[in-house]
Amino acid sequence: MERTAVAVCEILKYLIIHWKCETAGTSKGALLEGQIVISMEALNSKHQANTLHCVTTIASAGSIYGGLVLKKFLKEIQSILPGFSAKLNWTSEEASCSQDISGVTPFQMIFEVDEKPRTLMTDTLVIKNFLHKIVMVHPKIKFNFSVKVNGVLSMEIFGTKNEPTLNLSNGIALVISYQHYVRPKVGTAELLCSRIHPVLGHPVMLFIPDDMAGMGLLGELILTPAAALCPCPKIFSNQLNRISSVSIFLYGPSGLPLILPSQEQPTTTVFKDTSYFIDWKKYHLCMVPDLDLNLDRDLVLPDVSYQVESSEGDQSQNMDSQGQTLLLFLFVDFHSGFPVQQTELWRVHTLLTTHLSAILTESHNVVQDSVQVAVDQALEQHHHATKDHQKLQASLSVAVNSIISIVTGSTSSSFRKICLQALQAADTREFGTKLHKSFHEITQHRFLPYCSCEMKQQLLPEKNAEQSTEDAHEDSSLELLAGTSGQVENKRLKRGSLRQGRKETRAFHPARSPRQSEAAACRTKPTDASLTPCGSRASPGGGLEDSLWQQEVSNLSEWLSPGPEP
Amino acid sequence: MAFAPMGPEASFFAVLDQHRASLLAALRRGGGEPTGGGTRLASSSEVLASIESVIQGIISSVARNEAPAFTIENRSSWENIKFEDSVGLQMVSHCTTRKIKSDSPKSVKNFALILKILSMIYKLVQSNTYATKRDIYYTDSQLFGNQTVVDNIINDISCMLKVPRMSLHILSTSKGLIAGNLRYMEEDGTRVHCTCGSTAVAVPSNIQGIRNLITDAKFLLIVEKDATFQRLLDDNFCNRMSPCIMVTGKGVPDLNTRLLVKKLWDTFHIPIFTLVDADPHGIEIMCIYKYGSMAMSFEAHNLTVPAIRWLGLLPSDIKRLNIPRDTLIPLTKRDQMKLDSVLKRPYVTCQPFWRKEMEIMADSKMKAEIQALTFLSSDYLSRVYLPNKLKFGGWI
Repeated sequence: MERTAVAVCEILKYLIIHWKCETAGTSKGALLEGQIVISMEALNSKHQANTLHCVTTIASAGSIYGGLVLKKFLKEIQSILPGFSAKLNWTSEEASCSQDISGVTPFQMIFEVDEKPRTLMTDTLVIKNFLHKIVMVHPKIKFNFSVKVNGVLSMEIFGTKNEPTLNLSNGIALVISYQHYVRPKVGTAELLCSRIHPVLGHPVMLFIPDDMAGMGLLGELILTPAAALCPCPKIFSNQLNRISSVSIFLYGPSGLPLILPSQEQPTTTVFKDTSYFIDWKKYHLCMVPDLDLNLDRDLVLPDVSYQVESSEGDQSQNMDSQGQTLLLFLFVDFHSGFPVQQTELWRVHTLLTTHLSAILTESHNVVQDSVQVAVDQALEQHHHATKDHQKLQASLSVAVNSIISIVTGSTSSSFRKICLQALQAADTREFGTKLHKSFHEITQHRFLPYCSCEMKQQLLPEKNAEQSTEDAHEDSSLELLAGTSGQVENKRLKRGSLRQGRKETRAFHPARSPRQSEAAACRTKPTDASLTPCGSRASPGGGLEDSLWQQEVSNLSEWLSPGPEP
Repeated sequence: MAFAPMGPEASFFAVLDQHRASLLAALRRGGGEPTGGGTRLASSSEVLASIESVIQGIISSVARNEAPAFTIENRSSWENIKFEDSVGLQMVSHCTTRKIKSDSPKSVKNFALILKILSMIYKLVQSNTYATKRDIYYTDSQLFGNQTVVDNIINDISCMLKVPRMSLHILSTSKGLIAGNLRYMEEDGTRVHCTCGSTAVAVPSNIQGIRNLITDAKFLLIVEKDATFQRLLDDNFCNRMSPCIMVTGKGVPDLNTRLLVKKLWDTFHIPIFTLVDADPHGIEIMCIYKYGSMAMSFEAHNLTVPAIRWLGLLPSDIKRLNIPRDTLIPLTKRDQMKLDSVLKRPYVTCQPFWRKEMEIMADSKMKAEIQALTFLSSDYLSRVYLPNKLKFGGWI
């Protein structure tokens, strides 16, 4: 891990902890809200060949960093980054008012580092991932991240403001839009539910190993796991009937990521044993660590990743199709009977980032129990969805074969002719194939188990973005353990809003995918004074959603009023 | 006559003959037998064409990219059933229906099973072979789950295609027995001679196919329980009351037993009486023979015999005959509920004497089995009770 990335991440962690502590007195449990601008400007070094001199500026609008003492800040940062040095600027309120909101800010921190170009490239990816992870639990924080290398500017905005979330304790909320975690393969069935439905496990207290007991923590470490399948298992697609991977995300107090990618990872040693906390055998799954974690993607990079090696005893699954990913979030929080001081919280973070494995090992039994329950509940949904799908397939197979039996066995040539013509089949064999396919296509979209989150969303009138934002954070709480927690929140989120607030990413590299090219159209001209962010892309809405919505409404009485079994 | 006269003198049957005459007169006044509604016997080609029409509809739906569905009449819903004195319980002409959809998780399995059984029926009709409902179930018991599922689907198909089950080449297993003065020939040419001795003949599986029925019987006695039926056989009742016919459905009658009773009535118009326990269950069984059942209301015209009379055991008989109280059984909660249910049925309103008997039972909160008569004497039923009832018109 190179210096710039570590420095940026540690500084951001420090700032957010400071921010949290500053606001704890006034609005306990409320989400942090604000904007932080990070800009890196790199020019060829005049003193070293093949080296870039990089000046990094971290700035913030608003007065959230009032009270930040530079000396104390430097001392604490230098405990992690020896020799680190930075300049801290405060601007006057009058000066900040004369600019636009992203202009000169009251708070500005600048530091300089010399780095190789390749290192800088890696650093930007690491920073991007870190920012992405933060906004996944701090949906009201927005990061403007720009990188200018020898005059060429690239800018990205990280924010999840209008996306559905699940409120957790202590002022963080998990974003539950699936597209941050998984990108379905092209050609998979249209997914009507764009959320994940986390199941929260019961919070457990972590035990501190004896050799760390003297660190003087005046409080408890509480781990709360959350598990979810991605994409939503309730909306069934033929290609999503198996678990193919597991992604584990580790968050510490204040919703800060515990791990930085590409770092040496003694912290995650405990996860090398894939079965240490989760018994996969009961699901006929064999997990192996996935070491191929590509930084350069716009999904949230997990801290630990497993791949399913094979499904024991089940040869019938289509291994070529994309399966589902089990997402496991481990939130470690610090609770104390006293108002937590920033220094203490910073110390807790440092402890966790360096000794997480040891702490989790010490607490193996309780962690295992809690995690297993959450995983069991999340996979139960998948299990039910798989069973439902199997029943459907079996029933349709019986139906189709019965029809084929009658058509092929009929001695009435006119009847056979009419049937074949209806499906434009040349013979009974082709008729059978087409009948199978047609039935499958007709029922695949229509046979959608009730996914209440999506249904409620589609039924409700559209609202403006501000109201949607408020709605997105209401209702749910840590106490909701059921997988239906996603049903409670966002009751009134407007239909198109799921696609809003998508972070627009533009790769550092010149080559882009078509989707990213589309986003690149929003790239601004490089100016120092105005880092104008591109707005969130509006939802395309579209005819497919409308027609599907109409179908759902027409089936509404069936879903809402279960009738007698025929 | 073909049968040796062993029974009482002709004068014994005077009241019975009068009753028969009044029944015939009522029939003539009513314009003969009511024309069959609901289901009718259909030829094989008609059945095959009906099934092909159903399949065509499904394929057309699929071709239009619409999820196909069956529309099934709600056979077991009181709102779809009306009561006619001349027929009994039958389905109304415009019934409520339900859809069995192929794209609904609740009904897709049923949709598939209906098609499965349709395809099996298609093959049976095509090959002119027959199978029982049990046979159908055992072709794939795991798929069907249980016999009731198969039975219901077969009835739904019968109702949907508007043909009797027989036309679907599905037989029901008969459990009923016949004894007495009756001869007939089965479809395959087998001659059956029901005897008056101590043995009985099983009700045939193919009632529609029997022909050349011959009888001199003065009456047909439907006996609820097999135990009572056997007792009467052992007491030589058929000979002593000859000429007569006895039938038992061994409890709730199966379709074939009901079809046989209906056929005997349609063919001979002889008085038909029921001998049931004086309890709500017995009364309900009697009502099935007379007025039909909700489940089979779509075939009422083929199954009901509204001319049936209740011979015994009447609740009023219990008091009249001084049957010892310790032989009586208190009505259970379930009995009470069934009695209340029967009292509310539409046909009870046109049977004031039946209603009165049921009210006597309700008031006394007691029930009695026919076997209670054995406390008077072991053969009281066959030697005293039934002969007196038949001779002096003790039916309602």
